[in-house]
Amino acid sequence: MIGLSHYLIVSAILFSIGLMGVLRRRNLLMLFFATEVMLNAVNIAFAAISHFYHDLTGQMFAFFIIAIAASEVAVGLGILIVLFKKHGSLDLDDLASMRG
Amino acid sequence: MDNILSVLVFFPAIAGLLGFVVDKKSARAYGITVAAIEFLLSLWLWFSFDTSNAGMQFVEMIPLIPDFGVNYYLGVDGISLFIIIMATLMTLIGMMSMSIEKDVKNMIITLLFLEMTMVGVFVALDAIIFYLFWELSLVPMLYIVGAWGGPLRVYAAIKFFLYTFMGSLVMLVGMLFVAYVYHNLTGVWSFAITDWYALVLPVNYQLWLFAAFFLGFAIKVPMFPFHTWLPYAHGQAPTIGSVILAAVLLKMGTYGFVRFSLPMFPDASVMMITPIAVISIVMIIYTAMVAYAQKDMKQVIAYSSVSHMGIIMLGIFALNSEGIGGSVFQMLSHGIVSGALFMLVGVIYDRRHTKLMSEFGGLASVMPKYAVIFGIMLMASVGLPLTIGFVGEFLVLLGFYDVSPIMTILAGTSIIVGAVYMLSLYKKSFFGPITKEENKTLKDLTPKESWSLIPLVAIVIWLGVYPKPVLDPINKSVNAMLVFMDEKAITAEAKEMIKVPHAATKTGEVK
Amino acid sequence: MENLVYIALFAPLVSSLFAALFGMSPKKQFVGVVASVLLGISLVASLMLASYVYTTGNTIHVTMMDWISAGDLHIPFGFVVDQVSVTMMSVVTLVSTVVHIYSNGYMDHDKSFNRFFSYLSAFVFSMMVLVMSDNFAGLFIGWEGVGVCSWLLIGFWYHKEDVSREENPSISPSWAANEAFIMNRIADLGMLVGLFILYWNVGSLQYDEVFAALPHLSGSILNAAAIFLFIGAMGKSAQFPLHTWLTDAMEGPTPVSALIHAATMVTAGVFLVIRANPLFSMTPDVSYFIAALGTFVAFFAASMALVNRDLKRIIAFSTLSQLGYMFAAAGLGAYWIALFHLAAHAFFKALLFLGAGNVMHAMHDELDIFKMGGLKKTMKWTYIYMGLASLALAGIPFFAGYFSKDAIIETAWNEGTLVLWLILVVTAGMTAFYSFRQVFLTFEGDERYKQYGIHPHEMYKYVLIAMSPLAILAVIAGFFKEPFEHFVTALLPEYHMSEHTHHIAWLLGIVVLVFAVGGIALAFKKYYKGLKRDEALESSWYYKLLANQYYIPDFYEEFISKPYAMISEKMWNSVDMRIVDATVDGIAKFLYETGDGSRKMQTGNLSNYLNWMAVGAVLLLVVAAVSAAVIG
Repeated sequence: MIGLSHYLIVSAILFSIGLMGVLRRRNLLMLFFATEVMLNAVNIAFAAISHFYHDLTGQMFAFFIIAIAASEVAVGLGILIVLFKKHGSLDLDDLASMRG
Repeated sequence: MDNILSVLVFFPAIAGLLGFVVDKKSARAYGITVAAIEFLLSLWLWFSFDTSNAGMQFVEMIPLIPDFGVNYYLGVDGISLFIIIMATLMTLIGMMSMSIEKDVKNMIITLLFLEMTMVGVFVALDAIIFYLFWELSLVPMLYIVGAWGGPLRVYAAIKFFLYTFMGSLVMLVGMLFVAYVYHNLTGVWSFAITDWYALVLPVNYQLWLFAAFFLGFAIKVPMFPFHTWLPYAHGQAPTIGSVILAAVLLKMGTYGFVRFSLPMFPDASVMMITPIAVISIVMIIYTAMVAYAQKDMKQVIAYSSVSHMGIIMLGIFALNSEGIGGSVFQMLSHGIVSGALFMLVGVIYDRRHTKLMSEFGGLASVMPKYAVIFGIMLMASVGLPLTIGFVGEFLVLLGFYDVSPIMTILAGTSIIVGAVYMLSLYKKSFFGPITKEENKTLKDLTPKESWSLIPLVAIVIWLGVYPKPVLDPINKSVNAMLVFMDEKAITAEAKEMIKVPHAATKTGEVK
Repeated sequence: MENLVYIALFAPLVSSLFAALFGMSPKKQFVGVVASVLLGISLVASLMLASYVYTTGNTIHVTMMDWISAGDLHIPFGFVVDQVSVTMMSVVTLVSTVVHIYSNGYMDHDKSFNRFFSYLSAFVFSMMVLVMSDNFAGLFIGWEGVGVCSWLLIGFWYHKEDVSREENPSISPSWAANEAFIMNRIADLGMLVGLFILYWNVGSLQYDEVFAALPHLSGSILNAAAIFLFIGAMGKSAQFPLHTWLTDAMEGPTPVSALIHAATMVTAGVFLVIRANPLFSMTPDVSYFIAALGTFVAFFAASMALVNRDLKRIIAFSTLSQLGYMFAAAGLGAYWIALFHLAAHAFFKALLFLGAGNVMHAMHDELDIFKMGGLKKTMKWTYIYMGLASLALAGIPFFAGYFSKDAIIETAWNEGTLVLWLILVVTAGMTAFYSFRQVFLTFEGDERYKQYGIHPHEMYKYVLIAMSPLAILAVIAGFFKEPFEHFVTALLPEYHMSEHTHHIAWLLGIVVLVFAVGGIALAFKKYYKGLKRDEALESSWYYKLLANQYYIPDFYEEFISKPYAMISEKMWNSVDMRIVDATVDGIAKFLYETGDGSRKMQTGNLSNYLNWMAVGAVLLLVVAAVSAAVIG
């Protein structure tokens, strides 16, 4: 029987993969993917818990997140294209201009 | 005039704003006129002051944030009245004697703003208003030291600002806590000091709050070991900055103790007598010795200020009428005398562009008037009877004798060590043959300088011979405060230590 | 009568202010004249008051206005003219008037002539406040006032340069002035504490109230009050160990030495003890200490006078010695005798000093008696005056000093304090010796001054005439002993010799006389024919010890002044700058450097930021978990 914990474990693994991606990757595009993975990990958790408690709020929240993530990707990708045009690269190490 | 206090507070500020449109050349005259009007207003305040009333007078109250009990709440009593007059007087005299050439207009405007904040601190009866003016006063002084100061001015200005600011932040937390406790006990918010007076706090609260307020006040006074900003600030500030700083800004600290710490935390005050007396004695003796080691005239006077502030602190914590009354009087005395001394150092600095005593010697021969006025101020500073300096010092020592004879004897050494550094300064600068060629042609006091110093000399002697007109109202308010502290004190120890004079028990009334 | 009180008191003040108006202008003869006239008015008023008090036995008490009132403390400006204060007033104004007139001649060539009169009159005013006040605080006003005037007058020639101690024991006038002021301040602190003790135990500082309340106070309080008041008296009257300032004060102009450092101010301490006699008579231990210290100082100072070469310093030591006698009398309870000696001493000592001033004037400020000699030819009157004064000082019969000093020595016998008696008798011999050593070396013998190219001349006539009242009083004052006793014992406790002492008084007198005459004879033998220097004696250790004033000034210099300066320097450099200020700066620096160090975190690299964010999140989680575990 697949229970709540299985979903949560999957969610946690996905989140960790996303987190590792955020920490390790240098390419901005890859960072985007990694954050998407983390968001979706959270979505899985929301949906699972929502089902578990018979409370639709969690699933609604997941929908919201999907919508927000989509719009964020739209804006983010636009910025990425501009950046790429300007610097010819999406490597974070090349983009460090706000050094303290 | 019902709202004389508001006029007193905001007139200089408005005049300062208008000062921006005043022509550069007439800025000085404009500033002096405004300061003179302000001084006359403060004198008028004294004449219309009811000396038979020990409570707050000319009270004004306008709600600002009614939900939190923050009001625009002003008033004066015998304790604050004369400090206000001294503040306006010293601003006027300082402006009259000012010798700054650079950006005079900016200086005048800054001084007028400073005057607003100074008067504001002493008339405020609402803690938030008090705090507001208290902090605002730092800004003009920061500017004065930072813009017109000596070579190390930026360091000195920042040190002064950050140091005092840090202390007052802790005080602000204390104030908020008092208001919170007041709210818990009564259900309403109030920041009015007079409301807070009625609050009887448990002893451990009192101690913590005392400590919070102590930090704010002690840095301002400045008490040992928080005093090191002062020599830098004085050393770098222009003459006018030093005059105001020594005469008025330092008094905010000691005034704070009288206005907040004593009546609000009587039990904590009694418990703190010994530590504070010890610090005061250290201040008196230690800084007097440090003053003796100085090579720069201005630094001698800067350190002597710390030493004298030690006397004032000691008197406040004598917790009897003689001591506190003497302290308040000594605040005035120190304001006038140290202000005058700083002005006198400024006079010689303008001529020689140095303040090192080794550069002088024999000045009495070439500048006799200067030497005479310096001599009078010196004698006032060492507390000679029939000068203003004696009355306060005598009363403070007399008052504290009742608390601890041994500590009084230690503190009394101030009359010896004070004479040591002041006379040695005088001897090095004024006596002996003229050794430096440049000194032979020095001009004596100009009329401008004379006319700014002579009024101070007159006050020094007048209040030394006949201090009654000032001492009586002070005494009245102090007695009322003691009666009230005595009633409010919880511990038996505090009841015993707080000495209500017999005179007050007969006619004493609690406001 | 009240008006007379105010005239006597304020005429000197008016004189001082008048002279001060011209303080910065060149010499104006009328300033000196006006000042002298005003002082004369004060003298006349004082004498009229004296005769009023003497004839009627009434005292006058006036209260001018309130001075300080705070809490329960009320101090008025109140003045009392009673037997004691009127005696002091008369003595002070008399000597002052003479000194004022004298100064017209003495300060003749000084460019600060006007300023001098301003200070001098201010001094007289302070002294009058001191003696006339009806309370301890008023006394303290005068006490400090005379201190300041003394400071101004000792340092009158402030423009003189500092020299090393080898050349001149007191370095410079301004140095001596500061020394005097600071030493007096040490004692003043004691006096203030005495006032505090009285105030907190009595509730007032008025003499009459304090004295009325004394019987209700405990012994320890009385002792403490007496001790602290006496410490105050020790400073003003230059008693050991606060004595060094008095000889150094000789740096001031000679009229000042005559007025302040011989006749008036230095006797203020004695006056205080006499004034506070109800207190001191209730504290026998303290009083005995006073008597013992006085006797010691009498001997100690006389011993230093034996070898000194400086004309004024010899007289200064002699003043110290005579103050010791006065304290001995006061300490033994013979207050009226102390007061009598105070008055008599004021006359002959002022005369002696003024005579020394004449010599100085004649010798162009040369003070070394080894460089004088044979001056009697040119300065006959000065010789006569100084001779008379020295006879009085030595206690030769029928001169003033004989009556007053003998009475003190007799008192010491009468009290059974034989050690004190013996020391006082020996001191009387020494007094005679050094007085006449000085007179002979100055006026008799070979004219040594000629080697130094000095042409002495006698003082102006009017100055000599002005000195005559002092000379007359130095001779005849003793004959007023009986009426004086009668007069002042209306206020002061009576003091009678016991039957036994009375019986052998003649014998005691002869013993003293033998010593006095012996002293004179020895001086005559050694110095009358001129100066014969005894190298062996002068290089002996005891001669050097005395000549260097027992090395006490050097001791103070090495063990007080220098360490004080050194510690001050250390306090500033090491403590204030290196510890206190460095701590404050250290805190600021720590904050600044923490910020500066953590600034490196801000690389501008988003990836690093994300890593830090993760670290932060993990840290927060850990903290939350731990605190949940601990609290929950």
